[in-house]
Amino acid sequence: MDALSTTFAALADPTRRAILARLAQGEASVGDLASPFDMSRPAISKHLRVLARAGLISQGRDRQFRPCQIEPAPLKQAADWALQYRALWEQRLDRLDVYLQQLQREEPAAPTAKKVSRSIAKQPKKDRRHG
Amino acid sequence: MADKLSAPFVLERRFAAPRELVYAALTEAEHLAHWMTPPGMEMTHCSVDARAGGVFHYAMKPRGVADAPSMWGKWTFRELRVPERIVVVVQFSDAEGGVTRHPMAAQWPLYTLSTTTLTEVAGDTLMRLEWHALDASEAEEAIFNASHASMAQGWGGSMELLDRYLAQLLGGQG
Repeated sequence: MDALSTTFAALADPTRRAILARLAQGEASVGDLASPFDMSRPAISKHLRVLARAGLISQGRDRQFRPCQIEPAPLKQAADWALQYRALWEQRLDRLDVYLQQLQREEPAAPTAKKVSRSIAKQPKKDRRHG
Repeated sequence: MADKLSAPFVLERRFAAPRELVYAALTEAEHLAHWMTPPGMEMTHCSVDARAGGVFHYAMKPRGVADAPSMWGKWTFRELRVPERIVVVVQFSDAEGGVTRHPMAAQWPLYTLSTTTLTEVAGDTLMRLEWHALDASEAEEAIFNASHASMAQGWGGSMELLDRYLAQLLGGQG
């Protein structure tokens, strides 16, 4: 699986997202993380292992407490990617807007505009609203 | 069979253009080729069969790079109501028209359902684009939901803390 998919697979679970939200405020022990959830420590540890494997958190070496920390890099990569996806569509609609204006200015000279005016002409008159 | 749909991803835009023209720009090959391609890319294949069950099949590649591989996409029209409503199933594809995974994110849903509604507003056209992941797994829905306005918003619930943290990471962009 690619890095992005590993990140998103780890983020797919609401408990794991809640754990990350808690860690965004600062490091916490496994016990701290388990307390808001109605979950056993082994169950929480399992979620932590998934997050650690995805590189989203790291755990300290202290055997007893093993405090967890959020690791921002993969989260940033995923968020960047997500923003990019929306931006792609926003830009696409910007271009569509420019293109539509261009078509209306060029009508009826450009060959594409000619075709459009034909298809518009097929519509009833009351629907022909320009500008 | 009922569709299994994720939460929607919605974009709205008002165009100073008649509705028929906007509809044509969304369903005719020579128009789609003009605005679908991101800057620096060119469309190398574009065929449209705009009827229910018909397919818009396209390929894009970086402009001026002769041997760059093309990225293929395929929209299968599910419903077309001239000039107000277009429902399509969106997929990544290959030259043969098969269904493929997202080239950069293997966990992106295999199918997304996009519904475009065009409404006339004082001579302008209001376009509403609504996307859902279609029949997606939990992980696929997570990656799809994350592509909304902000990742945490896409997940709903009490994710404000994570959202704020992400905003910090991204340095206030977006």
